[in-house]
Formats: sequence, structure tokens, C-alpha cells
Amino acid sequence: MTSHPAESERTLLSAREIRRYTFKVGLARSEGGIGELISEAYTYVFAAIVLVVMSGAIVLGLRHSLGLGSTPVWSASALSPGFQSLAPLQASATLMLTLAAALLNVQLNLGPIAMTVPQTFWWLGLPVRRRGFISPGFLRSMIWPVAGGIAVVVPLSLGIGSQSSPGLVALATLCGAALALFLYGTAGWVQITGRGRWLGTLAAAVTLVAPLSLVGTALYNNVSGTRVDMSWLLYLPTSWPLLVANGALWPLLLVAVALAVLVLVYANLERVSSASLRASAVASAYVAGSVLSMDASELSKSLSSGTRSGTSWIRLPLVFRSGSQTRRSVLTMLSAHLTMQLRQPTRLIRVLVLAAIPASLASVQFLGNATLIAVVLYFCAHFAVTGLGAVARFAAGNPSVDALMPLPAKLVRQVHYVLPAAGMTLWMILCFVLLHVLGVGSWTLIILALLAGPGLGGATLRAAFRPTPDWNMPAVSTAMGPVPTGAIRSFLVGPDLTLIALLPTLICLISGGVPLLAYPVQLGLSLIGFGWGCRLRKPKRSKGAGGGIQLAAGGR
Amino acid sequence: MSLDFQLEPECSPDADHDQGARLYFQVMSKSRKPQKPATSGSPERIPADPARPELIRAERLQVGYGNKAVCGEIAFSLRQGEALALVGPNGAGKSTVLKTVVGQQEAISGQTRVNGEEADDRSLAFRREVAMVFDDDAFFPALTVQEHLAIVAAGHGATDVEAMIDAELDFFGLSAQRPSLPHNLSSGQRRRMLLAAAFVRPRSLLVLDEPEQRLDTAMRAKLATRLRAEVDGGLGLLLVTHDPAFLSTVATRAIFVADEVRRMTPTQAALAIASENPHAG
Repeated sequence: MTSHPAESERTLLSAREIRRYTFKVGLARSEGGIGELISEAYTYVFAAIVLVVMSGAIVLGLRHSLGLGSTPVWSASALSPGFQSLAPLQASATLMLTLAAALLNVQLNLGPIAMTVPQTFWWLGLPVRRRGFISPGFLRSMIWPVAGGIAVVVPLSLGIGSQSSPGLVALATLCGAALALFLYGTAGWVQITGRGRWLGTLAAAVTLVAPLSLVGTALYNNVSGTRVDMSWLLYLPTSWPLLVANGALWPLLLVAVALAVLVLVYANLERVSSASLRASAVASAYVAGSVLSMDASELSKSLSSGTRSGTSWIRLPLVFRSGSQTRRSVLTMLSAHLTMQLRQPTRLIRVLVLAAIPASLASVQFLGNATLIAVVLYFCAHFAVTGLGAVARFAAGNPSVDALMPLPAKLVRQVHYVLPAAGMTLWMILCFVLLHVLGVGSWTLIILALLAGPGLGGATLRAAFRPTPDWNMPAVSTAMGPVPTGAIRSFLVGPDLTLIALLPTLICLISGGVPLLAYPVQLGLSLIGFGWGCRLRKPKRSKGAGGGIQLAAGGR
Repeated sequence: MSLDFQLEPECSPDADHDQGARLYFQVMSKSRKPQKPATSGSPERIPADPARPELIRAERLQVGYGNKAVCGEIAFSLRQGEALALVGPNGAGKSTVLKTVVGQQEAISGQTRVNGEEADDRSLAFRREVAMVFDDDAFFPALTVQEHLAIVAAGHGATDVEAMIDAELDFFGLSAQRPSLPHNLSSGQRRRMLLAAAFVRPRSLLVLDEPEQRLDTAMRAKLATRLRAEVDGGLGLLLVTHDPAFLSTVATRAIFVADEVRRMTPTQAALAIASENPHAG
């Protein structure tokens, strides 16, 4: 036995003392301030505000010149007059089901009982009760599902509750918070026992299918002239807060159930295994990285079940024998990119589902407003852009792979452009055709959207090949640890070009007409998007490096 | 108990390195002398002594991912004062065996007992006795080298945290890096810090996954010599290594992990590694 002297005299520190020490020392070493964060982001925020104001002015001018009446753009319905919208109650129930499934899926992956990767390494081996390490985080992180439950249920209760007295809204909110806590507790129990992982697969499937059911039902209703009865959705536990908003009190039983599950989980916190804590810590770090890179595809993957292992039956030819060497190399690259995309079918399905979200929104009564659709469309387009940019992002992270090809760097970048541009063009067509079927927009708008697709391809590359964050800039101290301000600038590269490439199409969507001038403007912006996306960045010169060129990122 | 420390002046670890390099050269020379091949089951350098308390007993252990085993069934015991090395080619499942033995991964079948109890790192007694270093590279970005070690030493109830940290920083040649943040350390220095963390705490069983990784030749030799001394003093050591010289110095027994698991003497194992990778070490 190799023990240190005076072992019997040793006094163990408590988990609380160790936790406090770690945070105290870490926070004391942070150097930046919140002002640094604001100054980093302000140019982008300022530019976005200017862009929105200018766009608003153009929309108003266009509506006036097209003689589209005096109804304000932010309240006018963009749907065709005879369109049968879905009842808000059905839409609310579907939204609740989707969000509940998403919350459960996220919690099952990240684990409500969570630590950071360094904490799992440096704390879990200590001979102290780990409840002291994990219970504060477990209790604190309950805030997020509760806040989410409140944020969703309050507006829905006010919107759909036929007798929405303040008391009923408060009770519905309580029920919504209980629902969120019940899901949180369920995920905690799965984490402790290691049983019930199938719930994650089920929840992931629901998050994909449920939003599509809205546009599917709306189209069926309008084509067949009948109404599909979807009232059963209201009796799913995820809709119980809506029932409370409508006067029913029995669903408040959920509050007691949620409390019981939470007490059970809290009493068993010590049982959670180190392996489970490590897995959730790694998953959380992956999510944090995805959030910081503002990468919707990676974020979606990280929030669900992460990278799957296994083999794929997708086999495309990678060796080409005819034509010049350049042609053969380009074909090999394209084939490799296509193979990588096709081997992630879930990602492609997510991108397709995103194309249907604006139409799903538009199919709901009172939500078929062009401005609202345009805002949602922008976010969906950006998420789709990052989804299709996975291959380019891989290349950005592994530049040596592209360097294997005997091609100039500029050409390699242009080859990376091809699939995202084609994909986003198809995405835009699908999105606007679905909207057109609901009566939003026109064929001329679909043609304009088609022209925007190549510009979004450029945005894909800009987001994927964004510059490395400057980690040498001062960090801002937060309760979660130091946050580097250098990451903020990087965070905003990508969404900017998505907005620029989409601007003419969005303006025409909101204003309700497509003037001839819009086509050359859209084409010009798409060309700019192509050029911007395919531009090769020069490595930054390091200050005082004696003329040597170094990458901005430091560290050994 | 206080966790505040005074910073110490830096000291040069060069002398220790020179001595370590000489030792390593001796070990390498010794391991490459022609040896008579030992047959399986031949006497090991230190035979298992049934009188010594048993630290690990693994029975019919099948390890892998899902239900897919990565190597053959393995069974062994480790007593105090023994060092068991797991050797084998990359991907053979050595680290998986290691993680399964210490309860970090679920076994497909079989059982492992540590100090007579089922291996479970949720148990306080387990964490008190078992120190382990895997291929992790995780640090608190805002904590210095000294503060990381302080968490471990104080967390294990060390009475003189500062002296203990001083000794380990000195041994691992990190005295100058005492106030450094992890991102200012080289990869090898971070590895030394992780190893130091296993030594600033009490332990009766030490589990190391390729401890020689990213260490320079001198440091490898120094570490091997120290581990050997601790094993002779009663420590139980379970390690994975690809370095024949390290293995020859430290191990008392070895197991070759592959589709078919074989027991070996350290000399046989060192030769097996050296024949697979003539540049090892």
C-alpha cells in the first residue's frame, strides 16, 4: 500500500469546497468585460438594423407602387382568400408535441445531471460524495425547462384559451412548467438507470414528423374539401396545459407527477455512473462548440444522438478515367462530397423538413402573415445552409484533405460550392412551391427564389470557412466560466451573407409582388454571394512576428 | 483546510533529465540483449504471491462495444506489489480492457472485482484506493498547473498539499510551469501534469494507459524507475504500454491482448512489442 504519511490525520474537503475553489479561482483570472462582447458584435448588429430599415422602406414603396392597399404589411394575410387554415388549437397542440419531444431528446442526450469535461476528469476521482458536485447543477438547470415551458405556454394560453382569465393562464403555465419538469426528470431517471434510451429515438422521430403534419393536413383539407379530425392531439399529455387554459383542471395532476419524478431522481443522484456523466459532458461540450460556431446542422446533431457509427450502403464511383487530370480530380471531389452528404440521410431529411416549416406556419389561422413567414424563412434557410455546408465545414477543419487534390485552391473552393448551391436552389424551389400551394406568393416569386439559391450556396461556404476565432482576445467572466470575446465575431460570419442573398426574395414576399427590377438585383446578389463564398482568406499577419506569417489562433 | 498557495521560484529539472536519460539508455541496452525465449508458463520475475492481498480479480471477462467483443476472453488477478502490463497491437482492445476493469465501461460478460468488491467507481472506497490516468486531455482553462494538482491533493485529504505538489512538480520537471495555464503547456507537459495528478494522492492501485505517451526519453526512464520502486513497495500497477524498455523496467507480469489472449513474461512481452515495432521507445 502506497499511502502518504499521517493518513489518519487527513481531513477530506467536501464537494462544495472543491467546487467553490474551482469556480473562484477561474473567475478571478478572467480579464474582459461585457462591453468587449458588445463592441465585438456591434458592427454586425448595426449593419443588420440598417438592412432591416432599408428593406422596410423598400417593401412599403413596392406595395404602394403595386397598389396593394393600405393594410399594414405586418398584419395582412398572404394566403389566398378561400384557403381553409388550420385551427390554432391544433397548431398549438402540434407545437407542444414537437417542443416536448425536442426537449426530451435534448435532455436524454445531454443528461439533466451534467458536468463539464474537466469537472468529470478532475472531480469524479476524488473520494467525496459526488452529490455535492452534481446537485447544484441539476437544481440550477431546472430553470431552463421551466423557463421554456412558461415561454411557450403563456402566449399559447392567451391565444387559444376561450376563457383565458388570468387565473387559468397562471394554472396553464404551472401545468406547462410541470410538463417540462416531468420530461426533465424522466431524462434524469433514464440517465441514472441507463434504461429507456429508446425514448430518444421516438422523440427524434416525433420532432421531424410533427411539424410536417401541419402542412400535410392543411393541404389535404383544401384539396379534399373536408376537415381531418385532429382533436385527439389535445388529449396527449403534451397538450394538457392547453386543456387547463380552456378550463379543465384535472390535467394539473401533472404537477404532482412531475414533483414525484424529480424527488425520485434527486434521491438517486449518487447512483449516476461516471461513464454517464462523462458521456453527457462530452455531448454538452459538442453542443457548446456547435452553438459557438452557429452551426445548425452540428447543433441539431449534437442535441440529438450525435455521430452514429456503422457502415453505409452508399457507394459512388470515386475514380474517373476519362478526361483531363483536372476534370478527373473535380469529378472525384464532387463524388466524394455527394457520398458524404448521402451518408447522412437524417441531416438531409432535416434540411427538407426546414423547407416545409414556413408553409406549416402559413397554414395556421392568423399566422399566414407575409412578414412572419419571411422571418421564419430566413432562419430556416440559414439552418438549411449550415446543414448542407457539413462537407465544406469538414474541409475547413481538415485542410490537408483538400490539399491532397492536384488542384488550385480557388478551384477546390469552387468545387465545394457546387453541391450546396444546387441543394439550396432545390430547397428554395420546394419551399416556395409549398408556400404557393397555400396561396402565398406567385410563380414569378418562385423564379426569383430559384435565382437566390446559388447565392445561398455562397453563404454555405462563407459560414463553413469562417475565420478561426481569436482566442487571444480577453475573456468575459460568467457563471459558466470565461467566454472568449474573440468568438463573437466569428459567430456572425455566415448568417450575414444568407440575409444578403435572400433579401430581394424576402422583400418581394412581404410586399406581395415581383417587379422586373428584382430579377437582375437578385441575380447580382447571388453572384456576389458566389464570389464572397469562394473567396480565399489570407492568413493574418501576427503583430511583431518579424514579418513571418502565422495563423491567428494561438496555442501549442 | 486552505487551498491558497504561495508561488515558488522555478528550478531547473535538467539534472534529473540527464540522470533519467542515462537510466533509459541502460534499460534499452538491457532489453535488447539476446535472450533465451521463455516458454509460456515459465517463471516470472516476481511470481504471484498468494499471501499478498488481491487487488484485482477479472474472471471470464469479455470486453467490447455493444455486443461486439474487441478481443478474446481475459482472466487475471493482480496482487499488491505486482505490475501487470497489457500489450498488443493498436486496436487490440487493451485500453477497453483497462476501462472495463476499473468500471468505466460495461463488460459484455464476466466480472471484475477490485479489493474484493465489484468494480464501481461510484464507491468512495474505490476512488480512495484507485488512481488512474487514461488518454484524457481535459483541463480547467482558467486554473494553473499547481491549482489542478491542489484539487486532487486536497480532495484526497493531503495534510501538506504544497509540499506534495512541490515534490511532484519537481519530479515531472514542471516546477517552472507551476503558474502556467494549461493552454500554455506543450502536449508533453500536459501529459506530465496528468501523471503528476496520479502521484499527489494516496493509492494502492494505479491504472495507467500508455503512460509513456508524449514523454521524452529521459522522463520515460525516470517514470519507469519510480513506478518500479513503488511496485516493490507494495503498489499494484495495471498498465498498457507499447514501450519495451518501459515494460521491462516496470512489469512483473504481462498479458498479450489480441483475438487470443496469452500470458507472457515481461521479457517475452517486450520482445513481442519490439518485433512489432523495431523503433518503439
